[in-house]
Amino acid sequence: MSVSDATTALTEELAARDDMIVCEGVNKWFGDFQALDGIAAVIKEREVVVVLGPSGSGKSTWIRCINRLEAHQEGRIVVDGVELTNDLRNIEKIRSEVGMVFQQFNLFPHLTVLDNIMLAPIWVRKKPKDEAEELARSLLERVGIPEQAEKYPGQLSGGQQQRVAIARALAMEPRIMLFDEPTSALDPEMIKEVLDVMKELALSGMTMMVVTHEMGFAREVADRVIFMEDGQIVETGTPEHFFTNPQEERTKLFLSQIL
Amino acid sequence: MTSTMGDPAATPAATADLWAQEREPAQKPEEPSLSAGEWLGRNLFSSPVNSLLTVVFTLLVLLAGRGLLNFTFSEERVWRAVKTNMRFLFTHAYPQEQYARVWFCVGAVAVLSGLSIGLLAKTGRGISMKKLSMNLMAAGGAIAVGILLREPSATVDSEGLVVHREPGTALDDSFAGWIDANSLALLGLLLAANVALAVWFRYQGVYLRGGPEPRTAHGVLVLASAAVLIVQQYGEGEIVRESFGSAMADRAWWWLAAALLGAAGGALWFGLGDARRRNTFVPAMYVFFGAGALMVLSAWVYPWGHYAFLEGEFISEPGSTVAMTTKLPWTVMLVLLVASFEAGRALRATPAGRRLRVPLNLLWVLAPFVLYWAVLRDPDLDWDHVLSTDIPMALFFAAFGGLAVWFLAHPRIGEVGRVIAVALVGVAVLNWVAAFFGWYPMLQKARISFLLLAVVALLAHNFAGDRTHRMRLVVAWVAIMAVFHWLVTLVNSPSTVDTPTDALFGGFATTLTVATFTLLLAFPMGVLLALARTSKLPIFRVLATAYIEVFRGVPLITLLFFFVLIFNLFLPGGMSLTDIAGATIGFALFSAAYLAENIRGGLQAVRRGQYEASDAVGFSTVQRTLFIVLPQALRVSIPPLVGQVIATFKETSLLAVAGMFDFLRIADKVISAQSEFLGVKREGLLFVSFIYWIFAYNMSKHSQRIEKRLGVGER
Repeated sequence: MSVSDATTALTEELAARDDMIVCEGVNKWFGDFQALDGIAAVIKEREVVVVLGPSGSGKSTWIRCINRLEAHQEGRIVVDGVELTNDLRNIEKIRSEVGMVFQQFNLFPHLTVLDNIMLAPIWVRKKPKDEAEELARSLLERVGIPEQAEKYPGQLSGGQQQRVAIARALAMEPRIMLFDEPTSALDPEMIKEVLDVMKELALSGMTMMVVTHEMGFAREVADRVIFMEDGQIVETGTPEHFFTNPQEERTKLFLSQIL
Repeated sequence: MTSTMGDPAATPAATADLWAQEREPAQKPEEPSLSAGEWLGRNLFSSPVNSLLTVVFTLLVLLAGRGLLNFTFSEERVWRAVKTNMRFLFTHAYPQEQYARVWFCVGAVAVLSGLSIGLLAKTGRGISMKKLSMNLMAAGGAIAVGILLREPSATVDSEGLVVHREPGTALDDSFAGWIDANSLALLGLLLAANVALAVWFRYQGVYLRGGPEPRTAHGVLVLASAAVLIVQQYGEGEIVRESFGSAMADRAWWWLAAALLGAAGGALWFGLGDARRRNTFVPAMYVFFGAGALMVLSAWVYPWGHYAFLEGEFISEPGSTVAMTTKLPWTVMLVLLVASFEAGRALRATPAGRRLRVPLNLLWVLAPFVLYWAVLRDPDLDWDHVLSTDIPMALFFAAFGGLAVWFLAHPRIGEVGRVIAVALVGVAVLNWVAAFFGWYPMLQKARISFLLLAVVALLAHNFAGDRTHRMRLVVAWVAIMAVFHWLVTLVNSPSTVDTPTDALFGGFATTLTVATFTLLLAFPMGVLLALARTSKLPIFRVLATAYIEVFRGVPLITLLFFFVLIFNLFLPGGMSLTDIAGATIGFALFSAAYLAENIRGGLQAVRRGQYEASDAVGFSTVQRTLFIVLPQALRVSIPPLVGQVIATFKETSLLAVAGMFDFLRIADKVISAQSEFLGVKREGLLFVSFIYWIFAYNMSKHSQRIEKRLGVGER
């Protein structure tokens, strides 16, 4: 099967699925600096999208706009059928459907690992405490650190902290997971343990949007790669297409620098 | 080398052996404790400058210590004034026949403390035997030095009058007299010798070699200087003083104490040996209990004397032990403390103990109200009113509010909940507007209850959950209503305790009461102000900033004058504040501004990522603030908060200036006006300072422990 056949097959299959994230002409400025410039993209259900690009290209800003940690100024962002506006109810609804994992983990340092994971299900999802605890323990099992439940984040390694952060996001049973450079703050030997958890998650059918510099992960797991520069989407394609046969000059330059 | 090269089979094995050897876990070498001499050499006499600084400051400390001792133990000090007026100093006019109430309060605090420490405190390993024995020996040594440094007592004649020396017959011929006359020259000489030695050793390079000479030579000279300071007092002045021998004999009890402490410390030190000394620990509380037990025991055994001011009569019985009304309650207090501590420790690991933790902390908050309004004031309840109005109203609010909470905390209440909450806020506000214009009469506590209900209603959706969860919220609301209405009823009832002045009590009790209630009021205010000042809503930000800047800009004493002396003039007829309530409000408004600034510092220290993570998991602003931001912010601001608590505690002494009979005023004005002790002030002031210091020092120590303990969860 040729590359173009594969792309066509994928496109057809994806078209049949529901839209999870739809962005149309999204613009955002920080002061006079335009961080996002006419972003238009559709991410389908169960799709794993990796966003690549040099630093300062607006990848993180875009992903943070999707759960409104940053507000976009023009254009439309629709997540799971709900449009992001200033309406608080929409924001609350979307945030409880979208899990996010940060570069700096951002675990709550004053709470144990278990409490970090349980807190939101109890207070946002209104789950009974024992159910929430059961869920938290099963998630810790899933990310491979059930024995760390009673410790504080400060007592864990970076990789373990990031896995707790993933478990915390999963505890809200989100339909979409956003990863904002999840391995950039980790030592090399810890990157793999986090990527393994993310791979497992991707295989389980989660819709994922991942900003990362891990080309291996993009190649192996992504359904689609989006390349950004200067706040614009430069090129989109399957990993095969993207890494072997990039069309745009800027993409080629980027790939030649990192590969 | 060649043999290994020549035998290829041997190489891997040899390498493996080498690895095995290297991977043997390295034992950290035990560092032996320094001997006293080495310690001195390394820490006090390590260089010429350090040696001289040590010499000069040792002499200064000795001089200051001598001054303090001579002031404290001088024959001119009338310590009887303090001993006689203990009850005045601590409670002023609280009647003695009601004193069981005071002791009940002390006992309640003792039990709460014991339980809390036993149940909650992370005690760590405790005090090492090394530290304990060193402290014991140091205490013994300090007492011994004190005995020697203190000047000899004045000789009195048969009529008890101090004997003066005839002019011109100073003790020039004696050795002490000679030292006395030449003490300045001698000290100067010794100091010069120290300088000369330091320079000499410097050029000989002895400091670099770390030899024992400097510490020995300088040490001898320091001891000689100390000897001059001690002996000088035996030849001094125009008053005839007792001889060295009789002075030492008079201080036999002190010598005994010094010897016992030193011997106990020494026995521990030498009996255990280096390793066990450092690796054996006793729980800190047991050391504290031991010291307490010794003091209580001494009250039963040692003739401290019985002094009191009872029904206008001064009682003075120097030879007897302290009064039964003192030693018995203190013994009971110690027993309560120890027993509750042991109970707490026994419960610690059990499920019952874990369930007790929250109620115990709540009891601490509740205790000041109950102890002051229910125990000390012994309210005279108007039962007709209680049954006809108070209880029905409390039941109404408990039931009505309980239902509202149950309904509003439903997980899918949605917009309906917000509408109902806003309606309740409307009613609450209307009640206060009505009070202002006098539209309809309503009890103040009904208005406050409505306001509380409105606040709870507004917040309820943040705490929604399943049935057990909602039930817990309802129970909490009913409990709050029960406590609130009960307290208001108590506050509104007149006291049955018959006191000669307007105030229920004075002295240290006032200090403690004002400080405690100030903090209970100011702390929530401070948190709210800090949150308002960092809020996104401009109206809150402006109001909070204005409040904080105004109250930080006004001198505290002005606020006190206003609230104690003037505020009542502005109140509508029939309403008035007691002095203690006015003072508490003034203090609370003032402290809240400072606490708010401290907490704001903590809020700003919470990282942005924490806000983002809370938002990303879908917390509302209230939930984010309560569960994520405030706990971290308060933890960071503990050191400045405790600083503020200590400052507030000490600032209550300003009450004396505002005309209230607080701790300081009693020592300063009341005792010195008694016929027996006319003009006797210094003793009282020194005693008051000492008590303030004990409390402030303990608070500061406690805050250090809290900081350490909360550091566990830090990144």
